[in-house]
Amino acid sequence: MNEEEGIVYSKENHLYDHIRFAGQRPTQIGVSKPRIDGVPKVTGAGKYTGDLKFPNMLYGKLLGSPHAHAKILSIDTSEAEKIPGVMKVITAKDVPDLKYGISPARWDENVLCIDKARFVGDKVAAVACVDEETCYKALKAIKVEYEVLPAALDYHTAMEDGQPQVHDEYPNNINTEIHHKFGDPDKAFAEAEYTRTDICEGHRTYSSPIEPHSAISIWKDGKLTVYCSSQSVHYFQYYIAREFGLKMGDVHVISPLVGGGFGQKLEPTGLEFCGAVLSKLTGRPVKMFYDRYEMFQHNRGRHQGHYEVSSAWKKDGTMQAVKVNFITDGGAYTSLGIATAYYAGGLLPLTYVFDHFQFDLLRMYTNLPACGAQRGHGAPQPKYAFESHLDNVAMDLGIDPLELRKKNVRKPYTTTCNGLQIQTCRLGEAFEKLGEMTDWDKKRKPGHLPKGRGIGIGSGSFVTGAGYPIYRNDWPSSSAMIRVNEDGTAATLYTQAVDIGQGAYTVLCQEAAEAMGYCYENMKIVAGDTEVAPLDFGAYASRLTATCGWACKRAGEEIKAKILETAGFMLHLPPEDLICVDGVISSVSRPKVKPLTFSEVAKKYFIIKGPLVGTGVYTVPRLGGYHKGAPVATSICYSFCTQAAEVEVDEETGEVAVLQAWDVHDAGTVINPALMQGQVHGAFAMGFSETVSEQVLFDDKGKIINGDFGGYRVITALDVPSFTNALIPSSDEPSTPWGLKEIGEGSNNPTMGAVRNAIFQATGVSCEKLPMSYENIWRAIQKKKAADAAKK
Amino acid sequence: MYLPDFDYYAPESVSEALDLLTEHKENAKVICGGTDLLPKMKHELLAPKVLISIKKLPNIKKIEYVKGKGISIGAAATHNEIVFSEVVNSKYPSICNAAAQMAANQVRHVGTIGGNIVSAVPSADLPPILIALGATAKIAGPGKERVIPLEDVFTGPQQNCLEANELLTEIFIPDGDMTCSTYHKFALRRAGALAVVGVAVALQTKGCADGACSIEDARIVYGAVAPTPMRGVKAEAVVKGKMATDDVFEEAGKVAYSECKPISDFRASEEYRRNLVGVYTKRCLKRAIENGHK
Repeated sequence: MNEEEGIVYSKENHLYDHIRFAGQRPTQIGVSKPRIDGVPKVTGAGKYTGDLKFPNMLYGKLLGSPHAHAKILSIDTSEAEKIPGVMKVITAKDVPDLKYGISPARWDENVLCIDKARFVGDKVAAVACVDEETCYKALKAIKVEYEVLPAALDYHTAMEDGQPQVHDEYPNNINTEIHHKFGDPDKAFAEAEYTRTDICEGHRTYSSPIEPHSAISIWKDGKLTVYCSSQSVHYFQYYIAREFGLKMGDVHVISPLVGGGFGQKLEPTGLEFCGAVLSKLTGRPVKMFYDRYEMFQHNRGRHQGHYEVSSAWKKDGTMQAVKVNFITDGGAYTSLGIATAYYAGGLLPLTYVFDHFQFDLLRMYTNLPACGAQRGHGAPQPKYAFESHLDNVAMDLGIDPLELRKKNVRKPYTTTCNGLQIQTCRLGEAFEKLGEMTDWDKKRKPGHLPKGRGIGIGSGSFVTGAGYPIYRNDWPSSSAMIRVNEDGTAATLYTQAVDIGQGAYTVLCQEAAEAMGYCYENMKIVAGDTEVAPLDFGAYASRLTATCGWACKRAGEEIKAKILETAGFMLHLPPEDLICVDGVISSVSRPKVKPLTFSEVAKKYFIIKGPLVGTGVYTVPRLGGYHKGAPVATSICYSFCTQAAEVEVDEETGEVAVLQAWDVHDAGTVINPALMQGQVHGAFAMGFSETVSEQVLFDDKGKIINGDFGGYRVITALDVPSFTNALIPSSDEPSTPWGLKEIGEGSNNPTMGAVRNAIFQATGVSCEKLPMSYENIWRAIQKKKAADAAKK
Repeated sequence: MYLPDFDYYAPESVSEALDLLTEHKENAKVICGGTDLLPKMKHELLAPKVLISIKKLPNIKKIEYVKGKGISIGAAATHNEIVFSEVVNSKYPSICNAAAQMAANQVRHVGTIGGNIVSAVPSADLPPILIALGATAKIAGPGKERVIPLEDVFTGPQQNCLEANELLTEIFIPDGDMTCSTYHKFALRRAGALAVVGVAVALQTKGCADGACSIEDARIVYGAVAPTPMRGVKAEAVVKGKMATDDVFEEAGKVAYSECKPISDFRASEEYRRNLVGVYTKRCLKRAIENGHK
């Protein structure tokens, strides 16, 4: 009997599904591939800058000013130089006097203070010694004579006449001021049925990456090599070359593994500049790093601000106009603070629609450490003020806070009143979903939740890559190169992009493999290196997956085109008839033709034509309006998200516990779901920590009093609330590869507002001040009790 | 952030340790876990020329029940050894709970009960519950040994009653009549945080099982709200001899609020600490009665 008799075959044939649906159904993205750097990081095999050693390497340290504001009268280094093992001591006279800063809008920093020190810790001198211990001895032996000056420590009053001047060039300590008007806010307010004003106070926080800033500088034969913990090797290369008058090609910047950045490793600091000089003068490699306390002084943290928010409404809950008036504490230098200032107000029109907007801001110089970019750049604190304000408005108008937000939510393919162009937007759907997930309507009903419990909401939006580079140039934002190994068994992606822990190297390799029709598991990456990899601006503004992703995709597509052409030659078929998925090349029209493997085709290519290389480049199109500061907050694409928190407040102690937190994201196509979850969860935890716990504190002389992890309380894993993350799936965002959106920074936009609004429902107490620490909440409860008692 | 140079000794007998202490006096510091001492040295707050480790002393880590007398804990027993000690858990789980709330796991692995006492940091977590349970300290000196109530060890913030040539060797928690005890800590995060306020309560109760619960004896101790761990004598007086009711607890809380002596620092203001002492005294009394020594 024929063995095959009686067999019933499936009527459907899935044999070539992977080919038939290729293009619609990616195989290398949308999958939680393991991190490419995961094993070396968790086993300790991976090398960070601090792990590197070079023959004859010296150690360097900076001497910081003990005064917040002081004239430097004299510096005597002679005693320090006598100490055995001290190889070099440098002061301002030994370093270039060209002022620098990451933001070309204000170059206001000196490598070492020339005339005066402007905050406690401002760099006055530097040493290079045979070991670290000797450095500390040397620092103590440097004698600096100061004339202590009165210091401007309070940004609220720093603009007043008679206040100490931090920089003579900037009268009244105004570092920058913004006065934007879009539409006719005055008229809208005058004619509105309802208006309201609220004021919130922010606080100064620091992101506290686990790995401290560090740099190893090697100046040899006219060429400078710097290994450093950096988010952007390109900006480091540019600014280091500029400072020393070197050709960019003679400055080689390498970022090994980086243990967290959060915005604060975007700019070179005294470590790179002084390290370079010390290396040049000693002829030896010099390693410099900040200890944790110095991290607090030199790490450019989040600006604190005074946030006044007003809005004008129809009684039915239609938002018509918004006016915000902010004052922020910039500290002693500009850092990236001009951008921070524009972001503070510029991002507000993203989540809700209003036609009239006035945005005024003063960024103040003070004699405190400089502030810069920190995850969510400029947005989280203003967003907290705005989301708090919205719940106050909702209460006044008698409208549910979620309903009020839904009514005014941003629509897709619209332009904000300040000229930001939005493509896809599913914030409205995210609000719907959040409502369902949280059982919102029920929980908001008066009396439903037990006493002391409440639920609150906030929303956020963020740029998927900034529209413009930090210094003006016409470089493309990203470029990448892929070289396939001669035998085709591996491919290496080259780009200057930097993985700072967010998973960029993994995601970029997935994107490259997808575009190549290859397998992620065969990908290698060489990145964060200015000499071997092509330009990318680095890890900031939540840009890499999109902008560098474009470059990787294009490089991968070039490889794939070459592979298909070669395979066509090998199979005697036209390349258009071939498809390459998961490293297998097959014919669409002739499914019986034996498929070729990527590696055999790649090998053939090398034999015939030489190295199999693909390159890709991406330039952001011209975006945004024409007003002053218009470039900031522009982006090819915006992410949207909303979060809710359910809290329980202990009214006797002010303790607040988040029982559950929810996040719903309009994140477009997700490249790596596990990494996405990690980013969102991490951002929420970080935002929550800033909300309730973290704050940098100073004494009355401007010295940090809690510059360690005992006193500066980043929350622990035990304090992180239970957290649920959901997506509004989509893949139609046209501006990004595969329709993806940023995930790293928008995610901590809504957190502060959501927690504040939950406490507001739980207790009726409005937390108008950050952090919402137990004591601050307790005080607010006491104040309300006293006020309620007075009413009776 | 660099340890200054020092000489290091690891004596193997108490007398050898005492000889070294006598020889080096103020220049010497006793080290065991080093979790308090070494950071202070790195921050240049202390610069002892000599460190004398007590880790090799016989029985210095021993935890045992002395039949009919009480629990003896060697000065070098680590917090985690106390947390997981069957001896302590079977008698006073409240002590284990206090030890478990301290710092982080890494610190609990090396930090010791002796260090927690002699460093005399006002926010230390073990002293309040130990004092509430009537613990004593055994202090060895040249040619003599003295046993004193634990509360007498503390003379001020980071100051203790030990002479330069004396050594704390043992903590003893005597069998007593206390029927319940607890330590409740208020800190600003759930791990790795100092107590902003700590309250320990030990009570002798009667008739609680029958629903007519009276408090025969009480010891209440406040941590982190005075230069030393502080006995809440007035709050004790409020509850002693009373029926255990919410009103009595409330009243004790009010008295605790006024009798504690906190200061303001960057962790909490005086006013807030007072409030917390009041709330926690009230809650501790209730919790102890409900949970026994758990």
